Amino acid sequence: MPPKLNKIRPIRRPNLMNKEASEFEPCWDILRSALTDIHNKDASRLSFENLYRASYKIVLKRKGQLLYERVKAFEEDWFRDHVLPVIAELVSNNLISISLLRAPGASAHERRQTGERFLRGIRSAWEDHNTSMNMVADILMYLERTYVSDTKQPSIFAATIGLFRDHILRNRLGGAAGQLDQSFVIFDLVNAVMLDLINMERDGDIIDRNLLRQITSMLEALYETDDELENAKLYLTVFEPRFLAASQDFYRHECEKLLREGNASIWLRHTQRRLREEEDRCSTSLSVLTTDRIAKVVEQELIVAKLNDFLAMDGSGMKSMIDNDRYEDLSILYQLVSRVDKSKNALKAILQSRVRDLGLEIEQTLKNTDFSTPAAGAETEDATEDKSKAQSLSAAAQQTAAAIKWVDDVLRLKDKFDNLSTRCFNQDLVLQSAVTKSFSEFINMFNRSSEYVSLFIDDSLRRGIKGKSDEDVEIVLQKAIVLLRYLADRDLFERYYQKHLGRRLLGNKSEMHIEKELVRRMRAEMGNHFTSKFEGMFKDIELSKDLSNNYRDHVRNLGDVDTKNIDLGIHVLTTNNWPPDVMGRMAVQEDGGRADCIYPPAIKRLQESFFKYYLKDRSGRVLTWVASAGSADIKCVFPKVPGKESGPLSKERRYELNVSTYGMIVLELFNDLADGESLSFTEIQAKTNIPTQDLIRTLGLLSIPPKSRVLAKEPMSKNVKTTDRFAFNAQFVSKTIKIKVAVISSTSKVEDNEERKETERKNDQTRAHVVDAAIVRIMKQRKELTHTQLTTEVIGQLAGRFKPEISMIKKRIEDLLNREYLERIGGETAAYRYLA
Amino acid sequence: MADSKYITLVSRDGFEFVVLREAALVSPTIKGMLRSQFIEARTGRCCFAEIDGVILEKVVDYFHYWYRNRDKEEVPDMEIPVELCLELLMAANYLNLEPATGLRDWT
Repeated sequence: MPPKLNKIRPIRRPNLMNKEASEFEPCWDILRSALTDIHNKDASRLSFENLYRASYKIVLKRKGQLLYERVKAFEEDWFRDHVLPVIAELVSNNLISISLLRAPGASAHERRQTGERFLRGIRSAWEDHNTSMNMVADILMYLERTYVSDTKQPSIFAATIGLFRDHILRNRLGGAAGQLDQSFVIFDLVNAVMLDLINMERDGDIIDRNLLRQITSMLEALYETDDELENAKLYLTVFEPRFLAASQDFYRHECEKLLREGNASIWLRHTQRRLREEEDRCSTSLSVLTTDRIAKVVEQELIVAKLNDFLAMDGSGMKSMIDNDRYEDLSILYQLVSRVDKSKNALKAILQSRVRDLGLEIEQTLKNTDFSTPAAGAETEDATEDKSKAQSLSAAAQQTAAAIKWVDDVLRLKDKFDNLSTRCFNQDLVLQSAVTKSFSEFINMFNRSSEYVSLFIDDSLRRGIKGKSDEDVEIVLQKAIVLLRYLADRDLFERYYQKHLGRRLLGNKSEMHIEKELVRRMRAEMGNHFTSKFEGMFKDIELSKDLSNNYRDHVRNLGDVDTKNIDLGIHVLTTNNWPPDVMGRMAVQEDGGRADCIYPPAIKRLQESFFKYYLKDRSGRVLTWVASAGSADIKCVFPKVPGKESGPLSKERRYELNVSTYGMIVLELFNDLADGESLSFTEIQAKTNIPTQDLIRTLGLLSIPPKSRVLAKEPMSKNVKTTDRFAFNAQFVSKTIKIKVAVISSTSKVEDNEERKETERKNDQTRAHVVDAAIVRIMKQRKELTHTQLTTEVIGQLAGRFKPEISMIKKRIEDLLNREYLERIGGETAAYRYLA
Repeated sequence: MADSKYITLVSRDGFEFVVLREAALVSPTIKGMLRSQFIEARTGRCCFAEIDGVILEKVVDYFHYWYRNRDKEEVPDMEIPVELCLELLMAANYLNLEPATGLRDWT
């Protein structure tokens, strides 16, 4: 024991030993009378040095133990004679019956008065005792420091302060206890009164908080035993458990009451207030040690216990909070639930189901819009204003509008939940990802989402962007990307986007830098493979622009007389990058053995001239002319109509017509026609070789709408039939010089069911190849795999692009087995081996 | 008086020493005297009935020596006349001066 080495042992000192004062009894007499004085608060005339010296001498005389016991005995006597009677007086029958037996009839006021008087008595006894014992401990400092600590006894202070616990708190109640079944000690009474006061405060009464705080301090200063172990404070061992149990009762009742009231909004605020109150109570009336524990009780009873009941409340539950944007309620709710459940499962579930329901509602609304044409017409101007329009056109336009409405609604919903996330949920990641998942779910449950999203972008870029500020454009771009993230069938989206983008680019309908920016963001989001085609398209357009300009220069230098009137703007498109319905129509014709459409001689010459120019630097390439994708500006002259002397018909009229390439080819035919002659549909088709459907549309546009009726149709009807005849409409008048004949396929529309099936079929074909490739890739690497493993790996590999159906994977595996890329290997479970 | 910056220590043979209160508080005994409601606390005078002036003087020297050097790293030795050693040890024990607070330096 190294410390011993440093201890200075008292040395027997002759001049101390010899004096009569060194005897024990005289010294004790001094101390005993001083103890009495101290208890009587009459110590100010005593000399500390004198008393200290007395105890010092006793210790030097090796009578420390005796002194220790004498002091204890003195204090016990003092308690019995002076303190207990005072307390006993306070423990009246009344107090017992009110506090312990909860006698009926006692008013809160009366209970509080009696209780507080009792606690004050306890407090004052405690304070006296505490002060006295501190003074005694000071006087006996030498005893403490040498004798007591050497003998490992409880310190003199601990021993004497503990008397309060043994003789007061643990004192059985005297005569008054007769009416009790069980035996109670004063401590029970103290607890009961404190808890009663706390409950009164919870009910809104004003109580003496300071008093509670002081009693708490007392309980914190007293321990179960004189060893004074830190976790054996009476406050922690006796009061706190009772306090927590009583609080649990209190809050359980309160929760039931709130449940009966049936208003979640009130419940939230009430719970929030209670939590605050309890925290407050711990710091002002009780001990901060309890803060966390009482919070747990409140959380358990007021939040966890009936959380789902409150959340599900009609009219005030979480559903209604979300629907009515009750931000404050939701904020509180979030804070409360976060306290009790880090994963916030309850909130997550309701948020998710709300997102899904609202999402499905959007789809439902949309369906109604689709089917009840006249009623839903209010949504799309075309339908109401122009009922006379061909039904098919109106329906298509309406569908496009519906697509945009769908996207708008989805975005609005997304905004709503984003807003909730920032305002109420502290941008909680758990909740955000849950909401995102639900969005993704309902969006992908809707089988047209890919097309609608692409269509929305198309619509925004086509007409929305013009005249908009950078910020507005930014918003549109962001929206587009947000939606894109949700889509699972990205390959399908890619297909639609390619189609719509192709039309925009060829039609010169949007601003290149915005298109590029959007694609750049898509690339950042989905990777290179997703955008490579789009980028190829941009490149084609840019190269084509240069090419057209260079060709123009080339022609000017040649001074070619024949083509000087025709200005050629050309788009050279790489087949793979562009949507098949721009490029693919040609393929169909070739398959069908049909020749390219017949161009007028002037155009033919132009084509040849360009082709020659093009091949100068790029020998070996093949150019195919796609008439269905182009347009032409034609200047036409309508001569003065004979016999008309006034009005517009009396003069020669010059108009500029903007028509599709087909339109141009058709109109050229009428240049060679004499006045009054007409051409039949079949004649036109024979001369031009334009596919029937396209020809019907082209002729329709040139002969039906009054604004662009440059051809007269016989008979006059709303539809073009293959039996109709067409003639030059010499009577044609237009208010504007420039006339735009709506170019076919210029606006993007929602596909009808037929088209959609076609698109899906094509998409499935592509998917089949992609799945094939994935299977082969995996098998090449792994050599052997069971069916289940292979399926899982395929789904994993393709997750970024689409979600392949199991049946499709199975079919592709079968196919690969047939083509002998794979073979089956025997065993209990189906498995395959890769054949190199 | 009780809150004065200085206190007075009185020896058995009547010598009085005025000491910086904060310096004297290094002794738990004196600290106890001054914090209770005893006469010493009221008057700021602590009488030591069994310590001689010559010893108390050295004790007071030590109080100030301790006070001056309490925050320092390099502390000069304090001169102790050999003939006072025993009695000083006795006094130090009485005043509850712990080895850690400097008693070790004395021995």
